Amino acid sequence: MSTSHVSALREPLVDGVKDLGQVTRDVCDPLDAHPTPAWYAAFAAALCALSYGAVMVISQIWTGIGSWGLNKTVGWSWDITNFVFWVGIGHAGTLISAILFLFRQKWRTSINRSAEAMTIFAVMCAGIFPLIHMGRPWLAYWVMPYPNPMGPLWVNFRSPLLWDVFAISTYFIISATFWFVGLIPDLATMRDRLPEGWRKKVFGFASLGWSGSHRTWQHYEMAYLLLAGLATPLVFSVHTIVSFDFATSVIPGWHATIFPPYFVCGAIFSGFAMVLTLMIIARKVMNFEGYITLRHIGAICKVILLTSMIVGLAYSTELIISYYSSNHYERFAFINRIKGPFAGFYWMMVFCNVLVPQTLWFEKIRRDVRVLFLISILINVGMWLERFVIITISLHRDYLPSSWTDYSPTYVEIGTYIGSFGLFFTCFLLFCRLLPMIAISEVKGVLSYARSDQDKESRHGH
Amino acid sequence: MNEEEARKQAAEDKVDGIKRRDFLQLMAGSFAALAAGGCQFKKPAEKVVPALVAPEEGVPGQAVWYATTCGACPASCGALAKVRDGRPIKLEGNPEHPVSRGGLCARGQASLLDLYDSQRYAAPRIGGFPGSWDEADLKVIRALEKARASGKAIRLLSSTWASPTARAEIARLRARFPTFRHVVYDDPSLLASVSAHRLTHGRANLPTYHLEKAKAIVSFDADFLGTWGSPVQFTKDWAARRKPDAELNLMSWHGQFEARMSPTGANADLRVPLKPSERYGTMVALGRLIAQKINWTGAMPASGPTTVSRTVLLQVAETMVAERRRAVVLCGSPDVAAQVVANWINQMLGAYEQIADLEHPSHIAEGEAGAFDTLLEEMSRGEVSVLIVRGCNPAQDQPRSEEFRKAAAKVGTIVSLAGRPDETTKLANVVCPEHHPLESWADHDAHGGALSLSQPTISPLRGTRDALATLARWDGRSRSAHELIRDHWRASVFPRVKKAGSFEQFWEDAVRAGVLSVDIDSGRTSFNPAVLSTLKTPRSPSIGYELIAYQSIPLGDGRQANNPWLQELPDPITKTTWGNVASFSPVDAKSLGLIEGRVVKLGAGGVSIELPAHIQPGQAPGTVAAALGYGRAVLGPMAGNFPTEKMLPIDFEPASGADVMMLSRSHGVSVELLSRFERLAKTQTYDHLVDPLMGEKRDLVRQTVLADFMLNPRADNPEEEKAESLWKEHEYTGFRWGMAIDLNSCTGCSSCVLSCNVENNVPVVGKAEVAKSRDMHWLRLDRYYSGAPDAVEGSPDVSFQPMLCQHCGNAPCETVCPVLATVHSTEGLNMQVYNRCVGTRYCANNCPYKVRRFNWFDYAHADLSENLALNPDVTARSRGVMEKCSFCVQRIYTAKADAKVEGRNVRDGDIKPACAQSCPAEAIVFGDLNDPKSKVAKLAKSERSYRVLSELGVQPSVHYLTKVRNKRV
Repeated sequence: MSTSHVSALREPLVDGVKDLGQVTRDVCDPLDAHPTPAWYAAFAAALCALSYGAVMVISQIWTGIGSWGLNKTVGWSWDITNFVFWVGIGHAGTLISAILFLFRQKWRTSINRSAEAMTIFAVMCAGIFPLIHMGRPWLAYWVMPYPNPMGPLWVNFRSPLLWDVFAISTYFIISATFWFVGLIPDLATMRDRLPEGWRKKVFGFASLGWSGSHRTWQHYEMAYLLLAGLATPLVFSVHTIVSFDFATSVIPGWHATIFPPYFVCGAIFSGFAMVLTLMIIARKVMNFEGYITLRHIGAICKVILLTSMIVGLAYSTELIISYYSSNHYERFAFINRIKGPFAGFYWMMVFCNVLVPQTLWFEKIRRDVRVLFLISILINVGMWLERFVIITISLHRDYLPSSWTDYSPTYVEIGTYIGSFGLFFTCFLLFCRLLPMIAISEVKGVLSYARSDQDKESRHGH
Repeated sequence: MNEEEARKQAAEDKVDGIKRRDFLQLMAGSFAALAAGGCQFKKPAEKVVPALVAPEEGVPGQAVWYATTCGACPASCGALAKVRDGRPIKLEGNPEHPVSRGGLCARGQASLLDLYDSQRYAAPRIGGFPGSWDEADLKVIRALEKARASGKAIRLLSSTWASPTARAEIARLRARFPTFRHVVYDDPSLLASVSAHRLTHGRANLPTYHLEKAKAIVSFDADFLGTWGSPVQFTKDWAARRKPDAELNLMSWHGQFEARMSPTGANADLRVPLKPSERYGTMVALGRLIAQKINWTGAMPASGPTTVSRTVLLQVAETMVAERRRAVVLCGSPDVAAQVVANWINQMLGAYEQIADLEHPSHIAEGEAGAFDTLLEEMSRGEVSVLIVRGCNPAQDQPRSEEFRKAAAKVGTIVSLAGRPDETTKLANVVCPEHHPLESWADHDAHGGALSLSQPTISPLRGTRDALATLARWDGRSRSAHELIRDHWRASVFPRVKKAGSFEQFWEDAVRAGVLSVDIDSGRTSFNPAVLSTLKTPRSPSIGYELIAYQSIPLGDGRQANNPWLQELPDPITKTTWGNVASFSPVDAKSLGLIEGRVVKLGAGGVSIELPAHIQPGQAPGTVAAALGYGRAVLGPMAGNFPTEKMLPIDFEPASGADVMMLSRSHGVSVELLSRFERLAKTQTYDHLVDPLMGEKRDLVRQTVLADFMLNPRADNPEEEKAESLWKEHEYTGFRWGMAIDLNSCTGCSSCVLSCNVENNVPVVGKAEVAKSRDMHWLRLDRYYSGAPDAVEGSPDVSFQPMLCQHCGNAPCETVCPVLATVHSTEGLNMQVYNRCVGTRYCANNCPYKVRRFNWFDYAHADLSENLALNPDVTARSRGVMEKCSFCVQRIYTAKADAKVEGRNVRDGDIKPACAQSCPAEAIVFGDLNDPKSKVAKLAKSERSYRVLSELGVQPSVHYLTKVRNKRV
């Protein structure tokens, strides 16, 4: 990996004096050791949640969507809320790995691997919901344009749901590819460390015959750069298209041109909050405090603060435009958010997404991991609420008052949501055990070891 | 097949695990079992004559329509039964019937399902156990002979049985058994009116009302558009004068004084909440004002208490007097004195000249007030030896049912003719079950001037027998109902028909048409004012709330309470299904601290019932209203609850409601709040056009007043703004189907909703599902209150808006479906392709009218034999699929095919969707918007026309005509 000059004025990206071997050992040794009791406990909990969710999903498919709390007016609620929530979380990974890479943000190196893993698992979780929310999920393949003997019957290219299918699947494929390509040098490192045996063979196969030669490195870096370029537009397109599900509709509260940028920012916001949650745990549990430093945490906090303010701006723009529109239905949709039966959800959302992140202006808070952990959880909650507010509150009271209904979830919906967390953490915990959580080769390029002593001194001088 | 092939075939068969031959054997066995179970559909044995299609009967897959008469209530509307492959699958009004003229109410249409009810008796019952007809007849005849020998009384107790042949049979029985008497009871308000007419006009009859001639109608508690008397006929006539025209001032004025909010009151131009205890006093006060204006010199009735303001009464009186001879008062009071006052007012207004026709009296209710009480006394004195009960359920449907049940013990033999178990059959020694009306031959003369016939549309499904045949058997004759009616008609009806020809030809024509006009003039009557001075002011209740036990649109008097279609039909006012509510006025609810769903205990005379509360704007303070017919588990599973276990693990919820009949003897009931709550299964939970947060009125139901409309027909109905589209719009080169719905003549009777359910196999989902807002109705009646939403006094304006798929030109549902399961037809239909639907529900979310319905579960009929009522022309939808109104596309295609066969174009009016067909008010018009001469196109262009939410640019195909209220007071 390339090394570059880093100003001595900046905090080091990796704390402590480490040599290259030390880095490899730090990252890889835990993979060789037996898992800790904490890991076992966490894994057991995740598996339980996953199994519970699986039972809920199977029972729902067995009996019908009626086991959810939906009704004739509220056709989507927790299902699509969870879908957008997970897709949103899936945004940070690619943003960190691709966009920050293109902008030469070196601090991404310690966290990009796990952020990308998070992305992939989150998109997997997200993908479940559109599948199981169908009335007849066994016919889900009909949303794919494939040659068939039914005419052939084509899909409806005007439907934003179809765009979703393409957007999400493209995103998943590119993210997974990008992640895998980034893993190759580290897989080779793993291969080289392992004794002869089946594991070595597996890593050997997966590292695609990596030789570590200059030529290999050169090709590799070009491929990575190109992939980063390819993945970058996806960061914007996926959530833009998800937002079209709502923006292209006629339902007040959904039908808004502000949605694409608003959703993308919200997605980055929620994704970074989730990265923060995971990194705070990981650096503690895996002893990566030297790699995922307070500087990383601080950088994440600044992104969160910025996106939070954009999201807050979007909220107020929505309100002002609905007032300015003089459209009764539009105005009512927003007044109903503020004062209607679900107003508590709205104000909780504003609290979590707009007010809470304001504390991140203070460096003291940006350096207090315990407070940050709490903040990150609150933001996750707030962003889930945002989708709930948009989807459910807009639907439950739309044009004709005769159709207004209430909505409350059933245990099946809640269980399915819990199950999606189970899936996410099961995958993430397995990832922690099986693959290097930190991009070894990339971190080696940003070690403070690479700096000159002069730099260090001048820094200390300040 | 040679041996080699046979071996190969056998080998192949084995591969599948089950041999094909075995499978066929199994199947044959199952079919045999089905057939043995009574599910064979044969034509009736006698010659029956289809109405519209030449007698090439029995073409598989082709529907045959038989003219018959609806048997759901004594109003006996003319009906057409659609029979497919031997099964009646739909009942519609017979357009040729001179009284009902094509309309049929919800209960009448739903009576189809009663035919397939598995709870019906399969055989006579003797002492509670199944027996044979011979045994049953023997037992009854012995009892009758014994009574004759001992000289003890024989009584036939029935509801109105307006059948000439039945009258003849009863006369024969009376001749054979000297102690035989026929006691009739019915809706107490109709009986009171019969008695009042005997007092005032010397004729114990109901007049035939011609409301189409009335320019001013005032009703005191008569729900004549809902359940009172002959609602289909009344609605037809009333609606004829509710279609305002700016040039011709034809629109009638309708005032309603009533305690609960009835559908009729909801349609009135002036509605005054009035307690029953003030009804008499108010009527007299109004009568006196009218008397003053027309200089009435005769006697005057004694006055009574009233709190209605004199200004209101004066204005009503002025309006009525201004429309003399074209004004009528209808009274739904069970009190004879009030009915006499109504007759007096009608006499003063000249209503008997044109509107209330006593010369051609109506027989929708026979018998007089007090007849049942006399019978009860006889019974309790032990004088009745044999009591035959037919067409009524005295152990439940009478305020004095409790006493009846006690007195029944003193009757020698009780014989019931009920076709299905009820409270009375529990007391009966012998049950001789009669056919469902769709299986029987019958004749009816409920309406003056019209004789109608019922012909069977299916051979009896069970071991039941025609009531007429049963009576004849007891008279010692073995004659079928068919023979009895033919004989009677040959002897009594045929000679009166002027037309010559053979009886056979006459009979065939009569059966084909289902109805025959006969002139029956019973002569002039004159008013006897002397009776007025003898009237006594009715006593007012001493304590508590005044109870109003009313007949609701879905259940009526409750005889069809086991009918799931009716249980799930929302009451048009309370919008509640699957249960009863206790309605309170907002004022009382406030003072009692009541909120909706709080269970209250209503008590009177040591009896109490528990019902969830409902707060009803417009209800008279000091009253509590509850519908009859609920809470009767004896009728079968539907009346008590809906067996939801068929639909897997959703929570089971019993249908609620107690039998309010128990309390209805008392006028005053005590109200006690319990600490329980019950969730009401409502299909509409928000009632106002004004939103609750900003207080702005939504422009969904456009309404104006007649005075403004006469000046400017576009009053309160601005023209639609034409928006340019960026896109190429759909082109309709042939037909463009559309609909026009007149909000002014729609009464909320819900006939269309039920018709749609039957036509389109709309599933019944049960109470728990409706409570979760998962009702499946393709067509719903939105009911809005306007005026101030918090008004606790007075009466709000009520509007009904039938809401169905608007078949938008730019349908928001069509663009969002990922799999093209909902698409646009070249004729403007928005089509739902069930087998392509994967169930994303995006279309339903994006529908601004929220008319799409999702199959959350597999909603099967709980009673499997009721599957026989399914319409084979419409796919039964499976779980996970969206559905919605199709404009009855199957009817469109049938009409087009018929036109093609006949080598002509489809004519305007050929196609009537189920809703339009059944509407007694003719409020729904369907047709081709592309044809400028079609009725619908003309209405769509009329000045009252507007489209709901047209500002969204979705281009709906359904046009609504504004509501014009004739407000004068």
